[in-house]
Amino acid sequence: MRRVILALTLLLSLSACASRQALFTVLPNPDGSAGAITVDDGKNAVVLDKPYAASEIVKGAAQPIAMDDAQVQQIFGSALAARPILPSHFRLYFENDTDIMTPDSERLYKSVFDEIKERPVYEVEVVGHTDTTGELKHNQELSLTRAGAIREKLIHDGLDPKSISIAGRGPLDPRVKTADNVPEPLNRRVEITVR
Amino acid sequence: MHWIARASFAAIALIFVSAPLARAQGPKIAQVKTASGQVTIVRDGANLPAKVGDFLYEKDVIQTGGDGAIGITFTDNTAMSTGPNSEVALEEYRFDSSNFNGAMLTDMRKGTLAMVSGDIARSSPGAMKVKTPTAILGVRGTRFAVQVQGEH
Repeated sequence: MRRVILALTLLLSLSACASRQALFTVLPNPDGSAGAITVDDGKNAVVLDKPYAASEIVKGAAQPIAMDDAQVQQIFGSALAARPILPSHFRLYFENDTDIMTPDSERLYKSVFDEIKERPVYEVEVVGHTDTTGELKHNQELSLTRAGAIREKLIHDGLDPKSISIAGRGPLDPRVKTADNVPEPLNRRVEITVR
Repeated sequence: MHWIARASFAAIALIFVSAPLARAQGPKIAQVKTASGQVTIVRDGANLPAKVGDFLYEKDVIQTGGDGAIGITFTDNTAMSTGPNSEVALEEYRFDSSNFNGAMLTDMRKGTLAMVSGDIARSSPGAMKVKTPTAILGVRGTRFAVQVQGEH
């Protein structure tokens, strides 16, 4: 009898698995929080917005299902193991009206470089910015000069020139919004994305 | 019409007609960051083995074998990875890095997929979607996974 029940249970769990057409699950962020996804089966849309909140599709209809870390590892282990190193963002600051980094940013540069070198392949985007002092045209050139200076330094230190792109936005995309002609050290910067 | 004129007109017409068939490659939308086992990129009907460092384009289809897995990062900083026996088409992708506007539609046909969304999902709700044979996923952010069972 026990064997029959066991066989039945196995059969049921197999058929449950076979009838699942799709599975959607939210995964936690490193800090334990979670984003949100919506699952729309054509009739209803459900919002999943908690860690491991999940929905499966059976016979074309979405239904809630309990999910945990162990099941996620079992189903998605290979996909999660193949996840790329996630992109990183850095800011380096400059002395007024120059392409010379502040002493703090000079020190930070080293960790930017180390972070890039850790990746098997990398793409680096360097975007220069200025504060609102001075002429717009001058600032657009200055922002590009700042980005170019960082690019040159990265190449000098051994990075692949083909993997580094630069742009300059002048004062158009400030970190701190100011009126015109306001000196603002936080806006004299390059923003670096590494992916 | 003189026959030369007629022939050259036909030739020009042929160029215009055939131009849309030879798909323009368009901008690079993602780069292969990890790859193991059998991984194939289907592009314009050709099967290309995927290698770390390769660039991907809109309409590319990723296929993995029984031992295959691949991880890619898009220009909007979305990370996507796929496990074995999977097929994923990069159906639609647009991204403007100057204002973060864009749209991304991934066609998840079978297998397993894990994603960490980037700037497109942040720019506007509804901009990032994953289509499966039975349901459509809208991505508000950030980390999620999708499994689609193949035909039995």
